[in-house]
Amino acid sequence: MGTYIKGSTIKLFALIFVALLLLPLIFRNPFSLRIATEALMWIGLAISWDVIGGYTGRVNFGHGAFFGIGAYITAILMMNWGWAFLPTLPLAGFGAGLVAFIIGFPTLRLMGAYFAIAMWSLALAFQQLALLMNITGGPDGMRLPTFLNPEFFFYLMLVMVMGTFVLLWYLMECASFGFKVRSIREDESGAMALGLNPTRIKIQAFVLSAVPAGLIGGIYAYWVSYIDPPSVFGDIITDQAIVMTILGGMGTLIGPAIGAVILFAFKTVFWAYLSDYQVLYLIILGVVIALTVFFLPNGVWGTINSYLDHRKSKKNDSLIS
Amino acid sequence: MAETILKVDTVTKTFGGLHAVENVSFNIDIGEIVGLIGPNGAGKTTLFNVISGYYAPSKGNVYFMGEDVSGLPPYKLAIKGIGRTFQVVKPFPGLSVLDNVVIASLSRHPRRRDAEAHAWEVMKFTGLADRAQILAGSLTLAGRKRLEITKAMALEPSLILLDEVVAGLNPTEADQTIELINKIREQGKTILIVEHIMHVIMNLSDRVVVLNFGSKIAEGKPEEVAHDPAVMKAYLGEEEQ
Repeated sequence: MGTYIKGSTIKLFALIFVALLLLPLIFRNPFSLRIATEALMWIGLAISWDVIGGYTGRVNFGHGAFFGIGAYITAILMMNWGWAFLPTLPLAGFGAGLVAFIIGFPTLRLMGAYFAIAMWSLALAFQQLALLMNITGGPDGMRLPTFLNPEFFFYLMLVMVMGTFVLLWYLMECASFGFKVRSIREDESGAMALGLNPTRIKIQAFVLSAVPAGLIGGIYAYWVSYIDPPSVFGDIITDQAIVMTILGGMGTLIGPAIGAVILFAFKTVFWAYLSDYQVLYLIILGVVIALTVFFLPNGVWGTINSYLDHRKSKKNDSLIS
Repeated sequence: MAETILKVDTVTKTFGGLHAVENVSFNIDIGEIVGLIGPNGAGKTTLFNVISGYYAPSKGNVYFMGEDVSGLPPYKLAIKGIGRTFQVVKPFPGLSVLDNVVIASLSRHPRRRDAEAHAWEVMKFTGLADRAQILAGSLTLAGRKRLEITKAMALEPSLILLDEVVAGLNPTEADQTIELINKIREQGKTILIVEHIMHVIMNLSDRVVVLNFGSKIAEGKPEEVAHDPAVMKAYLGEEEQ
């Protein structure tokens, strides 16, 4: 698997980061910047989903719940308690992480489809809760103060998602934690014989997956300035993150990022030019996932990777012979 | 008198009404190789699972280095120094052999760099180093059984439980594994081994414990046990009069 932190990797990250920092200078109009911000958001949701879904092997159909919890925490703190925006963010992340910690104990005991169903119904439960409570504004949702500064949100999202990416890169590809979660995915009871506590590792991974989703949810709420239960707790958030990850390649970080960009670009074009056919979007999503599973079981990045590996080993073979 | 490392004290394990292991007691001294034998369904693997923490005993206790460890979870026992292999091998199939062994090294060497260095050492010792980059799932059965031993060794256990690591191998592979077990003993490890193949048990073990229908029917030196009437009855059936 992964490598130690190499100078070249750090340079590459720095290069991408600087390029993204300069992006607002190129895209001067707010629309393009908005698209770029949302693309970053989806990268964040896809890579954070992949921590539990790809690396730990527990397919989570309720990731959107953490996003929604973050969004509502920010909205409630700002509107009902008069907080400023930035101080709400740590709490948005903490709230999502705390929920993951608590519900992880019962749900992470479940395997395969059972975990997926449990998490899916949990996300629905949160949506219902937001519909029924007064503090969340019920079905009317919540209107936040508008802050019309596209650059601010772009940079905030950039820092958040890049920060998440680098942290996950370190934990999953460089540090020993990545080995531990993979062993849980591969064989939980075998891992126990080697001194690893599966419950503890799964909970850690689950919290690690939930916190970024909560933080991104908090930013999202202030950015779009209006949230209601379907828009932040809806299935579509989880579904898109999953399709992006599977399309790009589960169990990697670059894969979901690529998948997120591809799918979000497609969605944007589709919405812009074929808005009459919006109903088709979900159907296309379904077809994309079916085709990916059939023809690119390792996703776009996984396929490129194994092709590169193959070429490299061929080259080595020819050197030997 | 050598020091006792493992003490199994009147252990019973029932599943519903079935007594898989009933009232079994024996000790293992440091540095010994003890063989655990018995016909199919005698409760050998169940007893292994009790000792390694996969099952809690229904009655009785297990003492490891003088400490009562009955009912502790497997990962705690692993840290305390009980390593085990699985009869139905449990490799991490989607990971390379090296990564498998690195994971096994992590509890003693938490830093990845140290774990990797340690993994290479253990793989050289068990003869898997040349296959380090292969996916564990694509190893042959012999390779996977060897990986089981390698992972158990990477844990640096003081007691190692080997569950049928020779069964299913061809004669050459079997000899290599026996050689490896002897090498492990030379390192000062204590070994409890379950095996069906009699000559393996008879050649390796200092002492043999025989189970039948969950109960201990004999214990002693291999040659004594082989001629024990109760053991012969269990394996061959009653002589017709």
